[in-house]
Amino acid sequence: MPDRLSFFIPRESRVHSLNPLTKLALAFSLIILAFFGPGLFLPVALYFFVLVPLSLLGKVGKEFLQTSFRLLLPLFAFLFVMQSLFYPGGETVIFSFWIFSATSEGVVFAFRTATRILVMVSSFLLLLLTTHPSTLMNDLSRRGVPASLSYIITSTLQIIPQMQARAVTIQDAQRSRGLDTGGNLINRIRSLLPLVGPLVFSSLVDVEERAIAIEARAFTLPVKKTSLIDIPDSRGEAVLRWVMAALSLMTIGYRIWLSLN
Amino acid sequence: MALIELKNLTYHYPLTNSPALQDLDLEVQEGEFLAIVGANGAGKSTLCYTISGFIPHFFKGELAGSVSVAGIDPTKAGLGEFVQKVGLVFQNPFNQISGSKFTVYEEIAFGLENLGIDPAEMRERVDEIIRLTRIEDLKDRSPYALSGGQQQRVALASILVMRPQILVLDEPTSQLDPIGSQEVFQVIKDMALQGMTIIMAEHKVEWVAEFADRILALSAGQAIKLGTPREVLGSPELPEHGIGISRYTQVARKALQAGLWPEKRSMPVTLDECVQGFQEIIA
Repeated sequence: MPDRLSFFIPRESRVHSLNPLTKLALAFSLIILAFFGPGLFLPVALYFFVLVPLSLLGKVGKEFLQTSFRLLLPLFAFLFVMQSLFYPGGETVIFSFWIFSATSEGVVFAFRTATRILVMVSSFLLLLLTTHPSTLMNDLSRRGVPASLSYIITSTLQIIPQMQARAVTIQDAQRSRGLDTGGNLINRIRSLLPLVGPLVFSSLVDVEERAIAIEARAFTLPVKKTSLIDIPDSRGEAVLRWVMAALSLMTIGYRIWLSLN
Repeated sequence: MALIELKNLTYHYPLTNSPALQDLDLEVQEGEFLAIVGANGAGKSTLCYTISGFIPHFFKGELAGSVSVAGIDPTKAGLGEFVQKVGLVFQNPFNQISGSKFTVYEEIAFGLENLGIDPAEMRERVDEIIRLTRIEDLKDRSPYALSGGQQQRVALASILVMRPQILVLDEPTSQLDPIGSQEVFQVIKDMALQGMTIIMAEHKVEWVAEFADRILALSAGQAIKLGTPREVLGSPELPEHGIGISRYTQVARKALQAGLWPEKRSMPVTLDECVQGFQEIIA
């Protein structure tokens, strides 16, 4: 069983020691800027002049670039091919072959969408690489997010590898009784069906015991919870968060003003 | 007044016709170690859930008779009052891990966070319980990366750190290997020696015979025997109710048939009693 269940990479850095809420606010305001801000090249600029430097400052540059490329390159390739060829309302033909023709409107649309997605995914990636999930959740519940919500999120992170391990066990048991799980794609997909029943039902049985266990540890007791981990926060960071919130609001305001005129 | 008092207790799980517990009377004094034995479906878990307040607050169903646990009446108080006084540990170690914590240390602190304990005191209490349950070497590991026995000790520590007045254990070793069971039993023994009130459902009668003050034998939801380990485990009708007898009793019975056991001596339930019997016959 792997000890590491999240994206988090434990390192000492200025980004790691930021309050989780600051990083979350940064992620959201970058996304808002990328989606609603002016100019075609703003998202790319945000990526190269804000996110990449921050990932280097956070000493996770390599993992940051690797993961974002792996996640996004196939998507971008697909997006560019589809949009440049089939963008509705594309008129300016760049080149054409057989029955297809690529339009520059399509290319621009694909570029805009791709760079926005790039900012969206990589700003969350930066947050997850430099923030331990339990720190984030502790901080959020300290600020009034319901404990049950943060419980659901952190326990889901933990439960996925458990479910995978159980699925492997069930499949091994079925294979040892003669279920054929190899062969072509259709056969493999068909052999997944008998897995679903036992996996889902055994998980449902576990839910009751899990509920008793956390109930026995006073989870629903109506007192104000405390937190083992002290999460540092500072005046400066609070100011920074307000600035980012203001900037996001201004960007949205600008977009509304544009559409009204 | 006894710490736990059950009078004429009858309980039906929802949508069932036959009672899971029937006309049960039980008194447990403070500091006592009571073991519950019985076949599967005899009502051991049901009794554990009743004493820890999960019946009637978590499992609904129909509860008749009176229950008083550490002065709490379940008809007047909620589950919250119970969990602050009664700690419950059950069979499956894996399902007792909260799932929201990433290290054993945080896992143990989970209950204290929910009780709203101050962080400085929290650390003190967690450190203390980690020492008592002998899991210092596990404290920075993920609770999911442990063996069953280790997980069960973490589960025990997570409950003990909340300082319950009564510890309820529902077959805590039934899913563990021999070494894991031994380690868990060791912790329970330590707690019993410290004078904690313990209610424990358990199949391993040899162990129970040695450490429990009294044993309650259940069959089909009814109490069939309540008394000292020797009174209960030595009684010949236990196997009829699907309750295993101590292997020391089995040895002595065979020996008695072969004329190798002192006739006036009662049936032994522990290793020591068994050895004493044989020493007597040899002498």
